[in-house]
Amino acid sequence: MTWDITGMGAVASIGGTPQEIFAALCAGRSGLAGLRAFDTAKYRARQAYEIDDRARPGADEPGRATRWLRQAVAQALTDAGLPHDLADVPVLVGTTLQEQRSAELWWREGTPLAPSDLHFGTALRAEFGATRTYTFANACAASLYALAMATDLIEAGAADTVVVAGTDAIGESAFGTLDRVQNDIPDALRPFDRSHKGMLMGEGAVAVVVQRAPAAPEPGRRVHARVRAVGVNCDAHHPTAPDPEGITRVVRDAHRRAGVAAGDIDLVMLHGSGTPKNDTTEAGVLAQVFAAGPGDGPGSGDGGPLMTAVKSMTGHTLGGSGLLSLVVAALALRQGTVPPVLGLTDPVGEAAGLRLVRDTAATADLGLAQIDAFGFGGINAAAIVEAVR
Amino acid sequence: MTSAAQTAHRTSGNPEVVISGVGLAVPGITFPDELLGAVREGGFDPHTGLTGREMRHKDRASRLALRAAEPALRDAGLHDGKAFTGDGDTTAVVVSSNFGILDSVCAFADVIARDTVTGLSPLGLPQTSSNVIAGSVAMRHGLRGPSLTLCNGPGSGLDAVYWARGLIAAGRAETAVVIGVEPSGDAVTKLLGEPVFDGAAALVLEARDRGARPRAVIGAGAYARGADPSVAVAAALGGRSPASVSLWLPGEDACGAPGGAPAFDLTGRLGRCSGALGVLQCAAAVAYFDRRPDEDAAVLASAGGPADDAAAALLLTAP
Repeated sequence: MTWDITGMGAVASIGGTPQEIFAALCAGRSGLAGLRAFDTAKYRARQAYEIDDRARPGADEPGRATRWLRQAVAQALTDAGLPHDLADVPVLVGTTLQEQRSAELWWREGTPLAPSDLHFGTALRAEFGATRTYTFANACAASLYALAMATDLIEAGAADTVVVAGTDAIGESAFGTLDRVQNDIPDALRPFDRSHKGMLMGEGAVAVVVQRAPAAPEPGRRVHARVRAVGVNCDAHHPTAPDPEGITRVVRDAHRRAGVAAGDIDLVMLHGSGTPKNDTTEAGVLAQVFAAGPGDGPGSGDGGPLMTAVKSMTGHTLGGSGLLSLVVAALALRQGTVPPVLGLTDPVGEAAGLRLVRDTAATADLGLAQIDAFGFGGINAAAIVEAVR
Repeated sequence: MTSAAQTAHRTSGNPEVVISGVGLAVPGITFPDELLGAVREGGFDPHTGLTGREMRHKDRASRLALRAAEPALRDAGLHDGKAFTGDGDTTAVVVSSNFGILDSVCAFADVIARDTVTGLSPLGLPQTSSNVIAGSVAMRHGLRGPSLTLCNGPGSGLDAVYWARGLIAAGRAETAVVIGVEPSGDAVTKLLGEPVFDGAAALVLEARDRGARPRAVIGAGAYARGADPSVAVAAALGGRSPASVSLWLPGEDACGAPGGAPAFDLTGRLGRCSGALGVLQCAAAVAYFDRRPDEDAAVLASAGGPADDAAAALLLTAP
């Protein structure tokens, strides 16, 4: 079975729609700026990829992750030509921090907070009448995990249309603890470059409408891309560090579910979080997976798929980052254009054999894309999407 | 790819999913029948029960979850007292918790305000993400299947059971450990205006054809979520008459009475259970069926009311 992506919406530091974000990525435009959310004197790292939408500069406000989620879902529904009424439509939201920032502001500064503000069903009910709502707090693999659950729902006949989304706003405790833990102080997120010093957070939300493919072709029905499969698993190895074995397993599982060989993949949207540990692990696994071997389909022997990492310009948008990569993949497949990895000049050794797009956007004829997303708790997800022409 | 992963894929179809094990880390309680009023001496004591080497550096919710998960696996015959004996590659972990890391998050914000980030402990990093609990359980027992964490409001526990069932039905897992947990703490108490239940419940779900001893059945259409509690209950009942419900386990606001069935309010003794409630309800349903091996009983669990974003209902039937 395959699943159609019929609507897309997204907001991030570099743009307020999927098209704006894609254009910024292709132009090599980053959302990096001085940290606006918190008192910078308390932190070592003083850069982030925030959405600059606070009413009063320098004063943080609650509810931003929820606000962007509503925007992204509304965009996706409009894009799909669907009414903004989700009474019968499941909405699956992947997030790392939920409304953690709102909880911090409540605790520290006394801004109002109700227990019901902590999960996104409350706002989705108010805005779209949705009740089949699920907040999956699945770290930075969350939105691709949510996509996997959506494909299962449709395959089981429990829904024909599902909205899948992701959202996160930067939180103090998460940003601060990461800052405390990273040995170096990154001034930018530079995935796979030898100069990478670690992860910097970004903000954003993303949503897609996933639909069962119609039994008969429907003229005029627009499909951005087709989901072939999503694999999910857990390393059960380390609380925060990636495990090459678990990542290898999830990538091969995604290929198997999609019925494709590694050699069929034309584009990989890397997790690429810019931590030395992620970059060497992910690059090492992909170098092995995409090493040409017997059984590879046509297209193998050309050096493997093109690869890029949008976090080099959006920062790590946490729970929504996997789905944001998928939206970018859908646009890349359609336009035959792949944004570069910003700031990549000297790849780490493990990435030496990978076709990472550098400096400027690449053009290519693309059919199949793989999207990676890995998170704390050792959880991994990999999706395979196909171009629709 | 491992042979185990292929096995999981082959078994997708529409298996009957059953609960095969229950474990509790509930203050003052040892066995699930005590949830329904059975009285024994002793029981779990969080002051002494959450210590030990393996608990070091873990957040409170993870500790409670670990204390509930192991007895559930033992109960299902998947743990020999030393280690997990099942197939890690095809075992999923599904956790429900609304306030799992809230106290950690608030405490870390306090430390930053007082001492800057240099005052934080690096060991706190996993606790900045709500899925730390699922990760802790997966790591302890080597459970490498899908991992899901639901923070979904009053119905979250029943939602978690639903998604665990779905993972098995879709062939993504053969077995699922489902945990509902809420840790107490200053921030949670302040937010709710009252202390929350401080404990965890765990279930093992698997397909009946694996040969497990079934303790309750989670049917394919036995769960519903929607705006109206009564409509959700009616949908969960499917074609069954409300009179066939032998026991109703209501949520915190007692909405969605399925008819004249006797009701037992778990929160009367346990307090506000939030994300743990649905899993506790299923544990209580298992205890109910265990006591009546020859009856064709059905237990209805519900959660959420008109003030919430949605209500959820789940019908459990005798094995």
